[in-house]
Amino acid sequence: MTAPFEYRWPVDPARVDRNWRAITIELDAPRPGRVERLLRFFGLPAHVTRLVVATPALRRAWFLATGLAILIGLGATDVDRPRENLFVLLLVAPLVPVLGVAMAYGTEADPAHEMAVATPLRGLRLILTRAAVVLAFSTFWLALAALIAPGRQPMAFAWLVPAVGLTTATVALMTFVRPRLAAAATTVVWVLGVLTTQASAADRLAAFTAPGQLVMVAVTALALVVAIARRQRFDLLDATA
Amino acid sequence: MSPAQVLAFGVEQRFGPVEALQGVDLALQGGLITLLGPNGSGKTTLLRCLATITAPDAGSILIDGLDPRHESDRIEVRRRLGYQPQDPGMTRSARAFDLLDYLAVLKQHDDERTRRHLVFDALERVGLAGRAHDRVGDLSGGMRQRLALAQAILGSPTLLLLDEPAAGLDPDERFRLREIVAERRHRSTVVVSTHLTDEAAVGDTVLVLLEGRLRFVGSPETLAGTGAGRAWIQAAEPIGARASWRLADGRYRCLGTPPVGAELVAPTLEDGYLLLTPSVVLS
Repeated sequence: MTAPFEYRWPVDPARVDRNWRAITIELDAPRPGRVERLLRFFGLPAHVTRLVVATPALRRAWFLATGLAILIGLGATDVDRPRENLFVLLLVAPLVPVLGVAMAYGTEADPAHEMAVATPLRGLRLILTRAAVVLAFSTFWLALAALIAPGRQPMAFAWLVPAVGLTTATVALMTFVRPRLAAAATTVVWVLGVLTTQASAADRLAAFTAPGQLVMVAVTALALVVAIARRQRFDLLDATA
Repeated sequence: MSPAQVLAFGVEQRFGPVEALQGVDLALQGGLITLLGPNGSGKTTLLRCLATITAPDAGSILIDGLDPRHESDRIEVRRRLGYQPQDPGMTRSARAFDLLDYLAVLKQHDDERTRRHLVFDALERVGLAGRAHDRVGDLSGGMRQRLALAQAILGSPTLLLLDEPAAGLDPDERFRLREIVAERRHRSTVVVSTHLTDEAAVGDTVLVLLEGRLRFVGSPETLAGTGAGRAWIQAAEPIGARASWRLADGRYRCLGTPPVGAELVAPTLEDGYLLLTPSVVLS
């Protein structure tokens, strides 16, 4: 008498189990959210998008950046006061990513911060990744705002270098003080600097001309050196909390 | 990999005028080590130093021979580390799976498929595989603690540091947690802080930390044994006992130097612990 059913080929039960498990996990894993799928659509790797969307504060920073950029854009379209509007755009636009970065790191931004600090991913890498995404995101909207402002080129994009400089300066300051305090300090120094330059020069947009841009390039370089030299501070709990 | 070796030499940590750790020396490898001490004794500070997220003011720590003061060593230590803080903050709107997946990325598991397996493994080990899609805010307190434990054991670390993981749990959840932790003791060096003596009793080794100083290192039995001949019961209100409290039957359980003819009783781990602490009269 023969068995009612026989395998024609030898079967490794452990392998079958492994395969079933792999299939089950693939089917059970939750789908990424809309924002994460969008970022993946633009080519960001899955592990990077996960770092970016994990903190709700960072998502709020995005929305804030979008809102501010749209407001600035709407204000810039007022053709009756072109030079005043351009000044406001150049003054405020570089601060949008600064706000975003301040809301992207530390215990105030990430409830899981203490667990995150104890992992091997360097704090500076994490913060720069998030800063780059916030910067890219706000740059997109601000560029759009600058484009719809009539007759402003090329000065309409003079906020770009200061935006990079101020964001980097904020990251460097975060090695000394809490993120939000660092952002506040950067904002105050920037606004005072621009207003002082404006008061002492004939041109209202003097701070955004070539010498001003060079200063911001120097600020970026110096801030990068400080942030890298003091990067250990991002790997400790008490320094960044 | 074998359980991590943990060495500490004269570790000191100050917070303003408070000396949180005062010259702590340690040598641990493998097993379940319970770190026992009252609130404010320095347990969290010591675990944070061992987790490399707080740099001690003085002294040094070596984990598997690696010195966390050096960046490359610190990164390597963290690859071997699982850490559950006392207050494991979690984004309440995040799904359990997503939270673990995020921490898996931070633990440098970049490949998405491998990460999914690791996350589901960890969720299964803590009995939460069926809750992967649930929001953290929808989980009970016990489940959130287990989720915090899941992120700690993710990737099978050889050093597991758990800061008061049983705090606020009901007996069933506490028992479940004990089982999960006990399972890890053969593969990792597991250090669990607690201020509860019954939690400390399940460890292979007990460390008693009082006012930032390590006062005892040994087995739970040895700690209980320090109370031999120093625990007794009497009917009259005790005078001169180092610690005493009233029992349900109205008599007093006392610790210290017993009077002549006292009814000596077998000491417990709690007796041994109380005898190390400053004088306590609870009656």
